[in-house]
Amino acid sequence: MSQHVNTAAAEHKAITTAQRSRNLLGHPYAGVVMLLVFYLILAGVFTTLSPYFLTFKNLVSIGSNMAFIGLMAAAGTPLIIAGGLDLSVAAVAGISGVIVAMCYANGIDIWLSCGIALVIGAGIGAGNGALTNGLRLNPFIVTLGTMSIITGLSLVLTGGLTQPLLTEGFNWIGSGKIYGMPVPLIIMLVIFVLIWWVMAFTPFGRFIYASGGNPEASRMLGIPVDRTQMILYVLSGLSGALAGIIVAAMLGAAAPDSVGKHLLTVIAAIILGGTSLFGGRGSVWGTLLAVLILGTLNNGLTLLNVSSFWQDVTKGTVLLLAVGLDQLRVRSQN
Amino acid sequence: MAGSRLLDMSGIRKSFGGVPVLVDVDFHLDAGEVVALLGANGAGKSTLMKILSGNYTRDAGLIAIDGSPAEIRAPADALALGIRMLPQELSIFPDMTVAENIMIGAMPRKGLHVDAAAMEARATQLLKRLGLDWLSPRTRMGTLSHHVQRIVEIARAMNGNARVLIMDEPTASLAAEEVQLLFDIIRRLQAEGISIIYISHYLKEVFAISGRVVVLRDGRNAGDFVTARTDVDEVLHAIVGNRVGDLYPAFSASSGAGDDVVTVEGLTVEGWLRGVDFTVRRGTITGVHGLIGSGAEMIGRSLFGAVPRTKIASATVGGKPYAITTPGRAVEAGLGLVAAERKREGIIAMLTLRENLSIANMPLFTRGVTVDREKEATTAAEWIRRLSIRARGPEQPIGTLSGGNQQKVCLARWLLGDPSVLILEEPTRGVDVGARLEIYRQIRQLADQGLGILLISSDAEEVAGLADRSIVLAGGVVTETYEQPTDASALMSAASKPAVAA
Repeated sequence: MSQHVNTAAAEHKAITTAQRSRNLLGHPYAGVVMLLVFYLILAGVFTTLSPYFLTFKNLVSIGSNMAFIGLMAAAGTPLIIAGGLDLSVAAVAGISGVIVAMCYANGIDIWLSCGIALVIGAGIGAGNGALTNGLRLNPFIVTLGTMSIITGLSLVLTGGLTQPLLTEGFNWIGSGKIYGMPVPLIIMLVIFVLIWWVMAFTPFGRFIYASGGNPEASRMLGIPVDRTQMILYVLSGLSGALAGIIVAAMLGAAAPDSVGKHLLTVIAAIILGGTSLFGGRGSVWGTLLAVLILGTLNNGLTLLNVSSFWQDVTKGTVLLLAVGLDQLRVRSQN
Repeated sequence: MAGSRLLDMSGIRKSFGGVPVLVDVDFHLDAGEVVALLGANGAGKSTLMKILSGNYTRDAGLIAIDGSPAEIRAPADALALGIRMLPQELSIFPDMTVAENIMIGAMPRKGLHVDAAAMEARATQLLKRLGLDWLSPRTRMGTLSHHVQRIVEIARAMNGNARVLIMDEPTASLAAEEVQLLFDIIRRLQAEGISIIYISHYLKEVFAISGRVVVLRDGRNAGDFVTARTDVDEVLHAIVGNRVGDLYPAFSASSGAGDDVVTVEGLTVEGWLRGVDFTVRRGTITGVHGLIGSGAEMIGRSLFGAVPRTKIASATVGGKPYAITTPGRAVEAGLGLVAAERKREGIIAMLTLRENLSIANMPLFTRGVTVDREKEATTAAEWIRRLSIRARGPEQPIGTLSGGNQQKVCLARWLLGDPSVLILEEPTRGVDVGARLEIYRQIRQLADQGLGILLISSDAEEVAGLADRSIVLAGGVVTETYEQPTDASALMSAASKPAVAA
């Protein structure tokens, strides 16, 4: 009897395994695996071309250089999945550094200054959320507007000048190390894990996917779509402020225009990571891999003495290639 | 009436990835014939029609037009042979004129310009052929009502040498008198010698318009009947195979006797409802019938808090006062709503069956602060079994299930939360007969378990077959109230009564 049951179970298992291999491309993590393979190939190419590439020191420097971008991309991923978009995040990072520097210059405690910057970042996020949800405006337009306002304000506040910001404890956030790991990299990884956990394991995570996948149906089911998006806008604002603090700490100065130019890299990483711009689909690990790929590409090409002008061309080409491949994958699912 | 043999498809075979979906299917059509093509979802109707219209290529079999073999490899081949397909969903350009919409595929030119005069003349001619003399070809498409847009679409299909018109669920969102208008047009075309292949889930329509009924089941021919010499039972039998029996479950002895679980007074939605009163009883199916535009379609969703500018004099749910605010509050009060537009308002296509099932009741599946996936999976497996949902398993993306199976998930989703009232809007729209049987049985079972059910349907037969008591709406007010089960003809005549000014 029990033998009979075992055979049936084994048969069942064989069938599901066969099904699984047939649906390999359709597996939810297939996109992430594709990115991982791509990353390994890229790393392999650079390792053969440059002996310096695969050193601990170099890998760590890629990580810490990309940390502030990764941070913003990590928070932007659930926002885009939920049907939102935040183009102002990099501008928030710019003004956040400026706020910290100016508060500190006026005698406010450095950590209190950071707190003020974070609160303002969250407030800008809440403003973005209120405009898109409350007035039902397109997030692209709203955050394009706030991006411009904030960028302008940081220039007005500083007169376009870089503000020095040298204080030992604070600069440790940017250049300190724990067991050889740069602090910015650790902060970024912690944020990734936190966001992954929320998205994968909490009811709020489900609301993120549902809100972006079909907002109308979600509302009919009593899912708090607006609240979900609002929380994510605030989170994105916070991530911008934190990124600004890290950059200021790394540079020992707050330059009003230091982060704004990285906005496209943030959005590119999210899309390259397999998140749909139309919402409903994506994962934070895809974003992390994409951040690593973009960072590695920059680093590797620099090591090979490729001009930085060509690096932009390469970055764009990789983005188009990846998005094209991902589209093929999505089609093969149906 | 029937003319010469126009189309002959024989021994058609088609497989997808080794799975046969059509096995030796024969189908023929005479000139001027209206043939209804019926079958449950997945029976092979649309595959067969896509082969005929050149969207798929067949694996084996012959297609002959006028007795000589025809090679249909691409949609352009089918068009050249005069085969036209009217898709289920409207495909119109709302910001263009009627004439542009009709002629979009073959704009007459004068040099580099569109020859506007010729275009309008040709469009007028086509509209006239369909009896739409009153419609100016310069009208902007978006300003027309839905059924007129449908007819303009037919005019577009008629342009050129149309001989066969395939209509896939053409009446899906039309009211009764609009269906009659469509039927008049079909008869006109038939008189011109054009053949129609009519795909529908509504047997009543099929019997009203078709001359012959062809049934497919599991990719094979399952019946070919002359409509005048068959009946609903015989056709149903062919569609569902050995799963016969009455479509509607029997009324229970205690039906209609429960106490009120919802009372509503003075429900008003600007432009839709004017002071509607009704109650829903425990253990009872309360039907709401009305034509499209009567306001019936708004009753459930406005009570649920999904319609802006809803006003109400007073309401109770489960004996407690109830104020209309948001769907979230309605769920907390014990209401559940299965929306009519399943794709748009019901399912979240990218999520799995499991995730769609639990999404409206996350607190049930939360342990501490995290989601209990084990519990989700076992619950999903249980409901797949209980409602015989045809799916590979809980992890299948819901968008890849058939309409009927999606609807079962939408139904099951609310049963988890143990609501006291379930509002069902058009529960079987676009659902095949087999799944309908199961959904009806499930609705009755839920009522027997003590749930109060508000069944809103523009299909009078559905309300007649299922509701223990019902109200009928027209022009935003209640025109008739029945405390017992009633028949479809009574409901239909009450629904078409002109509304008395309130």
